Amino acid sequence: MGNFFSLVRNENMKIFRRARTWVMLGILAFCNAILPVLFSMVDSGGQTTLWDSVMLTASFTFYLCTIFSVIVAADSVAGEFSWGTIKLLLIRPWSRSKILLSKYIAVILFSLLCTLLLAAVAILVSSIFFTGGGASSLIGPGESGPVFTFRYLLCDYVNLFMTVAIAFMLSTVFRAGGLSIGLALFIMFAKGIFASLFSPDRYEWAKYLLFAHMDLSGYLKADVGPGGVTLGFSLAVLAIYYIVFMAVSWYVFHKRDVAA
Amino acid sequence: MQLEPVVRLEGVTKKVSSRTLVENVTLDIPPGQVFGFLGPNGAGKTTTIRMMVGLTSISQGDIKICGYSIKEHFEKAVANVGAIVENPEMYKFLSGYQNLRHFARMMKGITDERIEEVVRLVGLGNRIHDKVRTYSLGMRQRLGVAQAILHRPKLLILDEPTNGLDPQGIRELRDYLRHLCQEEGTTVFVSSHLLSEMELMCDSVAIIQNGRLIDVRSLKYGSGASGAEAAETGFTVDDPERALAVAGSGSRQGSMITLKLTRDEIPEMNAKLVQAGIKVYGIHTVTRSLEDQFLEMTGGDPIG
Repeated sequence: MGNFFSLVRNENMKIFRRARTWVMLGILAFCNAILPVLFSMVDSGGQTTLWDSVMLTASFTFYLCTIFSVIVAADSVAGEFSWGTIKLLLIRPWSRSKILLSKYIAVILFSLLCTLLLAAVAILVSSIFFTGGGASSLIGPGESGPVFTFRYLLCDYVNLFMTVAIAFMLSTVFRAGGLSIGLALFIMFAKGIFASLFSPDRYEWAKYLLFAHMDLSGYLKADVGPGGVTLGFSLAVLAIYYIVFMAVSWYVFHKRDVAA
Repeated sequence: MQLEPVVRLEGVTKKVSSRTLVENVTLDIPPGQVFGFLGPNGAGKTTTIRMMVGLTSISQGDIKICGYSIKEHFEKAVANVGAIVENPEMYKFLSGYQNLRHFARMMKGITDERIEEVVRLVGLGNRIHDKVRTYSLGMRQRLGVAQAILHRPKLLILDEPTNGLDPQGIRELRDYLRHLCQEEGTTVFVSSHLLSEMELMCDSVAIIQNGRLIDVRSLKYGSGASGAEAAETGFTVDDPERALAVAGSGSRQGSMITLKLTRDEIPEMNAKLVQAGIKVYGIHTVTRSLEDQFLEMTGGDPIG
């Protein structure tokens, strides 16, 4: 029945026809452009390299990137419910699973776009003010700047990806955008505190907690993660949580009676 | 000729925890009709419609649309349906046209020409390119109808379609539904609690109360004017007390007395009253409107 791609197009239209989306992208681009400029003003004696600047910028702006992706994810399903348009959406010859999948794909595409925008602007503006050569304080000796930066951004993206999955699930379960945005951002900021309170170094069971593994950037410097686990273990834990989040979203969306 | 029904409700029941919202409703909706679904607020009209379009699960029984079960073959069944459930909510940040494009993409084979055609049919004209945010309720209702008929559905379901429409809009909607029904052979299923509206709009009505179907009747008026059957006849007179005494039976409402008379008896009774010196100002047949019948049937039962 029809073309699945057109469902994704619909979802994209609903994201990009809103002024809000362009405001978010504008803010993201602006912050990524202004931070390297600020770094160049405080950089005394050319200590900062191009890739240092990009990573420092990203360490700030990735929060924004996550927040915006979470907002889009949270609104994706909850918005349809609060607008009442879910009734029109679900009475088309498409299964609910496909509708939900199209929404999820659109959210992921948006988060990728944000990440690419972030990286592109940060690299572009940083390259105006900084050069690639020289010893870096952030990147270990013998590591290539671009490769290390790419890995660093990849770790950030995994973090974002999991946060977005949580927001998407909450949005589907609670049908309330505000609640899911709030809870997902709470998790984003509180997970550090949580992971240090229940550190896998102290408690054996804590290594199965999601929070201990969302930030994978520790593996860039060391082979062992929290509690002495490996990268493979961390990825497996993340994968299991991810599957659970998606399964809950799908189950709830499929079963739900759509009433006023 | 018995036509295959477009919709077949088979013992449909909806239970939410211990409450039964719809109980064992069995109903066939024949094709090519404007079929009314009538009931007081809270009778289960919207719940039934939600089950028909698969928004709500069915506790017991099944609903078949064009032969396909909405439970088992949802995609095939719902492809034949266009609907507005409750208010016509659209994406407010998109233009009317973008909204239609959005829903057109979800269906097979809807061309740009078809979208233009539908826009013309519902009379949205140039406003179609404005954001829905700026639309009045009447215009949103029109856009709602437009999205529902885009794919030329065999069954059009409208839940309380006249809500918020002005008399002109109601009139247009009525004419438009007639047109759809006659020209395109669409079966139209409308729910409402506005009886007078249903009387004008529908070929048949099903009446639902407290989740139970209590009656299905045709509204096509038969040739009841043969005269053999006694009908309620009202006489407006100057002295109803005395007129009742002269007539010997009947009831009084203000200055009108109501008698059950056949066609031939009416002039006789009139002559009798005049001879008794009573002034008769008017004689008319008291037709029982759908409203009277409806109130009689539902008997003023409290909701729930």
